Amino acid sequence: MQRYRIRWTKQERTRYISARDLTSVWERGLRRADLPIAYSEGFTPHPKVSFPDALPVGFDSTGEYAELTFAAPIVPDRDLARLSDTLPAGMDITTYLEVPDGAPKLARMLRATLWELVWPPVDVTELTELLNRRSDELLASERAEVIRRRPDGDRTIDVRPAMLAIAASTRPTAGGDVCTVLRAVLRNDGPTVRPTDLYAALSHDDIAEPTLYRRVAQGEHVDGGLHEALSTEVVPLVLDVDAEAA
Amino acid sequence: MLGAATARRAPATPAHGQRGAFHLPGAAAQVPPSYWDVIEPLLSRVRKPAQYVGGEHNQVAGQWGAAETRWLLCYPDTYEVGQPNQGLQILYEILNERAHALAERAYAPWTDLEELQREDGIPTFSLEHHRPLWAFDVFAVTLPHELGHTNLLNLLDLGAVPIRSIDRKVDDPIVLVGGHAAYNPEPLAPFIDAAVMGDGEEVTLEVDDVLRAWKHDHLDVDAAPSADARQDLLRRLAQVEGVYVPAFYEPRYHEDGRLRQTVAVEPGVPALVPKRTVQDLEEWAYPRKQIVPMTETVHERFSVEIFRGCTRGCRFCQAGMITRPVRERRPETIQKLVEEGVKDTGFNEVGLLSLSSADHSAIGPVARDLADTYEGTTTSLSLPSTRVDAFNVTLSNELSRNGRRTGLTFAPEAGSERMRMVINKMVSEDDLLRTAETAFSEGWRHIKLYFMVGLPTETDEDVLAIADLGIKTYEIARKHGKANKVTISVGGFVPKPHTPFQWCAQDSPDEIRRKLSLIRHAIKQHSGIKLRTNDPEEGVIEGLLSRGDRRIAPVVERAWKLGARFDGWHEMPTLETWRQALEDTDVDLAWFSYRERDQKEALPWDHLDSGLDKDWLWEDWEDARSDKELDDCRWSACYDCGVCPGLSIEHDTGYTGGFQLPVLPQGLGGGSEDLPTAPERYASGG
Repeated sequence: MQRYRIRWTKQERTRYISARDLTSVWERGLRRADLPIAYSEGFTPHPKVSFPDALPVGFDSTGEYAELTFAAPIVPDRDLARLSDTLPAGMDITTYLEVPDGAPKLARMLRATLWELVWPPVDVTELTELLNRRSDELLASERAEVIRRRPDGDRTIDVRPAMLAIAASTRPTAGGDVCTVLRAVLRNDGPTVRPTDLYAALSHDDIAEPTLYRRVAQGEHVDGGLHEALSTEVVPLVLDVDAEAA
Repeated sequence: MLGAATARRAPATPAHGQRGAFHLPGAAAQVPPSYWDVIEPLLSRVRKPAQYVGGEHNQVAGQWGAAETRWLLCYPDTYEVGQPNQGLQILYEILNERAHALAERAYAPWTDLEELQREDGIPTFSLEHHRPLWAFDVFAVTLPHELGHTNLLNLLDLGAVPIRSIDRKVDDPIVLVGGHAAYNPEPLAPFIDAAVMGDGEEVTLEVDDVLRAWKHDHLDVDAAPSADARQDLLRRLAQVEGVYVPAFYEPRYHEDGRLRQTVAVEPGVPALVPKRTVQDLEEWAYPRKQIVPMTETVHERFSVEIFRGCTRGCRFCQAGMITRPVRERRPETIQKLVEEGVKDTGFNEVGLLSLSSADHSAIGPVARDLADTYEGTTTSLSLPSTRVDAFNVTLSNELSRNGRRTGLTFAPEAGSERMRMVINKMVSEDDLLRTAETAFSEGWRHIKLYFMVGLPTETDEDVLAIADLGIKTYEIARKHGKANKVTISVGGFVPKPHTPFQWCAQDSPDEIRRKLSLIRHAIKQHSGIKLRTNDPEEGVIEGLLSRGDRRIAPVVERAWKLGARFDGWHEMPTLETWRQALEDTDVDLAWFSYRERDQKEALPWDHLDSGLDKDWLWEDWEDARSDKELDDCRWSACYDCGVCPGLSIEHDTGYTGGFQLPVLPQGLGGGSEDLPTAPERYASGG
């Protein structure tokens, strides 16, 4: 048995695949790529593909993870690239790591998530400043309760304990404009806090809902950003406009 | 409010009559806008958004400017129900294989998205590029059953295309219907431009040829098309064998309201429109590149049609009658299609489809070879066919090598021997009970039995025989294990055109309800038997539309205007809407549905030739009423139903020879607690 942990993306049209349907999308991809994925025992065997947690439908992500167990050895560079090709457009495998025996659980390597909230290219300076001011206030507070509205009843969530770092900056868009991007590192352990909850805590009813929520990466919180779990990459909290443009 | 996006507006729909530029062949055409950017923000607000995004494995996304003819293929129900449909996938593949043709797909949006589309001005769209319906040349809609009629009108209206054929102009799509319900398109006559009868492969390509030639003759960058260009296209289409253009025919009625005749009123169109029959299935080994959905659908498997047609002669079964004769696919072709398809799609289930799959003359070897191929793998095999005999158990044992022996389904269809003779379902009670004995003794734990009530000449005694058969089967089940189960599913019979029962009276919902309660009462003592029934009201709309004539068209339109959609869905009870529509249009449901016709009365589909001789159907109807059976002509002598001589062909069976067993056809699919809804029942139909 060979185990690999991978980082993968869920973008474009695949953002709308529900967590429930994701298993069969992966199983079919693995079968098309003809990889020897291991199956569970029993009358209805399932491929051994495990996901640490579900992404809400519609969210964009470059920070999805999975653990794949193979029944026979694979050549990871070649075979995982083939798997990536056969997955629907928008789903790509970007990193992999073979898992040695006795390695800590994947979830323990994903203690924090770097989220991104993206607004359209309007009111950029004002919005970025306001978001940074509100973010500082949040970090300085002890509690920050928001109401999460759900069909089965509203819930009150304290977003503060999950917040490790937060900052707004700007990024050029494909259309040549500049837009506001809020990045936040949130803890994955403890009660779940979603980026939508974070928006609720920041908006005070005068900031529009972002047009995109993106899970950028998961790993360990470090100064200035997040140490991605499967690589040495540090994903920065504050975007460097010049670097991005270059 | 900071950071609010400027509201994205849907591209404006060009005025009706000013869409010609989009229809020009080739690079001269204006490319219609994609609505993706305005649909996408709505997706977080609707149920099951993945059904609207497209982008699946094996999608073909062609370039507008590279095509001379552009088709939008539609199943008028949700994606989850319509996507697995084989017929549409075949046409999608063969059209897209043509260098000059482009075919995209559309399904009905659920009501939540439809509401938002109407608010924002987003038309019916294709999945490949989210292009608008109005820009396509052909809107080709498959009608596997009658309960998509209101959806068809709704999709046209939402797509900015006039719902009536007469109001359409040269720059509107041709609205084409096919599929089993197109064998009586009269209730849709004013709304469609043409109906295609029979197997779609050849005729679709011929229609495409006609369309292409017509576009070259009439559409020009510099000149407006002539005033009668559309009429010319309809005339050309009417010349294609198997294409029926309702505008060229008129019904004549007797004073008492009965139909006298439907006559051709346009010179040169055929008095009798023949169905099309693909003679050699081997030439049409499709669909090969099956779409792999990214969201749940009713059948997620790689399906291969192992033969078309059926010879059993079950008198209630429209599919069995209109798809004659039997044409089998060769075992080696089946094996090849399955192996390549499973590799290409990654599906972990294979379905061997047909009206009665266990009847393929080589089904034993086919099942054995496939079971060998996939033994020890995670690929499972399914055979949606339910012969009521021990052979079916043997086959199921073979196909379940990789899995658990859970449920088997059999379809005796009627409870008493007499009733089974009436419907020509040749299985004896002894056979059935022996089969149950075999199944339970070989480790199967659950048997489902499918029945109908409301069949012609049925008495309460016949109805109670259903309960009796259920109880006897249950006693056998218990003998082999306390946990073994028996389910009896009972549906109300709906008479269909082109069958020997086309003349009979349909039972009213009250009568169906009464019969169901007889069964319920009779099995009350046996708590281990599970009874599944549909709402007796559900057959009402289906019955009205299946045998209605052109006078039903205003009812369809009215029902749609009053909000009827998704008439086959349990979640969408539209019967009250239809009753209102009947009242508003002054149409008598009882006269259309609950009245027996006599031999002299013309039927609304008499000018549409399914190959079956009407006198033969009448004789068979008379035989039915005197409890006379008719043999399966696959194995025994020809009884002159009329199909084969008309086509100068014979049943194309027996490639491996000598594998002949007395066999019986399938029941309904579906594994849920309820009986399958109409859309589910028909979803995999060809």
